[in-house]
Amino acid sequence: MIEVAAALLAWLGAALVVLADARRGLALGLALVTVGFAVLAWGSGQPVGAIAVIAGGMTGALRCLTAAPSTWGLMPPGSTPRLVLCIAAGLLALWISASVATAPGAPLLFAVLVVLGLMAARVLSGGDAVVDRTAIACFALALASSPALASSTPTGPVPYVMGALIAAAVIVAPATLPRGAARSGKDGR
Amino acid sequence: MAAELLLAAAAALSLAVVFAPPRVRRASLLTRGLVGLAGMAAIAIAPTLDLILLILLVLAVLQAGLVSHRDFAARVRAPVLAIALLALGLAFERIEGPPVLLRFGAVGLVAGLVAAIGLLPYLHEFDPEESTVASPIPWIAFVGPVLAVAVLARARQLVPAYAGDALGAMLIGLGLLNVLWGTVAAWRTETDAAAWRYSFLSDWGLVLCGFGLAIADGQGAALILLLSIVLGRLPLYLWSRQAVRDKTPTDRPINLLVAAALAGSAPFAGFAARVMLLRGATQIYWPLAVVLAAAMLLWLPASLRLGRSMGLPRGRQAIGVAIVLAISVFLGLYPQPLLVLAGQ
Repeated sequence: MIEVAAALLAWLGAALVVLADARRGLALGLALVTVGFAVLAWGSGQPVGAIAVIAGGMTGALRCLTAAPSTWGLMPPGSTPRLVLCIAAGLLALWISASVATAPGAPLLFAVLVVLGLMAARVLSGGDAVVDRTAIACFALALASSPALASSTPTGPVPYVMGALIAAAVIVAPATLPRGAARSGKDGR
Repeated sequence: MAAELLLAAAAALSLAVVFAPPRVRRASLLTRGLVGLAGMAAIAIAPTLDLILLILLVLAVLQAGLVSHRDFAARVRAPVLAIALLALGLAFERIEGPPVLLRFGAVGLVAGLVAAIGLLPYLHEFDPEESTVASPIPWIAFVGPVLAVAVLARARQLVPAYAGDALGAMLIGLGLLNVLWGTVAAWRTETDAAAWRYSFLSDWGLVLCGFGLAIADGQGAALILLLSIVLGRLPLYLWSRQAVRDKTPTDRPINLLVAAALAGSAPFAGFAARVMLLRGATQIYWPLAVVLAAAMLLWLPASLRLGRSMGLPRGRQAIGVAIVLAISVFLGLYPQPLLVLAGQ
């Protein structure tokens, strides 16, 4: 039951990242995704992985809180397609994990599928650098959790640690701005 | 096979740094190249596909963070799509459920691989004025070969035999698409810079066909073609950029030699690879060999155009071009030791 709640939390967090354009919404979304995957990692018998996910994801969420406009930015005008995407992705992932797949581990499968799909869609739709970095942080956490889907091969904490490092670093690292000067073509060609 | 490609990439980086045009910052090129090489080494030794995807994400974010006039979002889009497709494909391969899921998984893996490299139908956004390290060229010509070998090696362990046939068929189908599109576009496109980019596509088309054949000849041809991309086409592209920018096409013997090497004529490396590929295609399904042979003829006009666009290499670049041609001839005349080394 806890794992089902964690998976739904991850979906809610991913939906917030898709629906939000400002720092509070993005930070809360990343934090929810982090908690969701940390609980799922703990449930998969990876306490070190869970701690790593919490550390990396929360570092990113805290940094995110200071990096973008200080508003929620939730569902600005014209975000109906995004809302439809969140619901449709959730339903599709739910169908695959609960109905099509026959093996145990449906909550983790649901969380991985829905977060990967929604975050990829968020990056593809284009937007502010902070939004993209937050989406990539969530994406890294989902990617780090996916090895646990393989029931036959044991998964160590390495993917979790790596995903957590990416989630923290992608937001904490200073952003580079596009420069017209780079057009001169003197930069490492 | 990945180790050979890694060594080739290191050699290509050395060539690019040592024989770089005077206006290029060598230290910057070397630093970024070494970071890429480290990532490629990590991909080659990563025990699972999951770790490869995480490493790929690190490389994508690092490249997107480089200073360029394109913004972060535009540069990270294609790699993130690729990783998402690969990860979804991997997840489907792991799900216990109906067999159709495994076929979907195979589709995800092939689509993700093609998106990561930047081939049709997932062409990365390309701007000829952008610096090479920040452009899509490293994905298609530097990181891509090692990535493709690593991903396909692990994918073949995951995908069961009946879905493996679908994987091979998709590779061949996408390969033919890229061969035809790449050769025709490299011949007909307006700018020489775009023509160079499309020429990478056409080479990759043959590579995908080789991997899709899944027999020794196909794999061997794919390896030689990948080496000719990393050690031939990539350095030549780098040295052609100034002449392409200055629009100084030249018709000297060296340009004809470069065109012959790019077209895969004897005795250059591409010729041996093409012969092996045709032999492999004949063993599997002879009409495929006919289509490939017809497509290979399209290389000629595009390669003549690219050869002319090199301008007249002088000084260090002339030495670099000579070395690249010599390596290509060596690979073309003596491919067997390399294939034995790669276990083919």
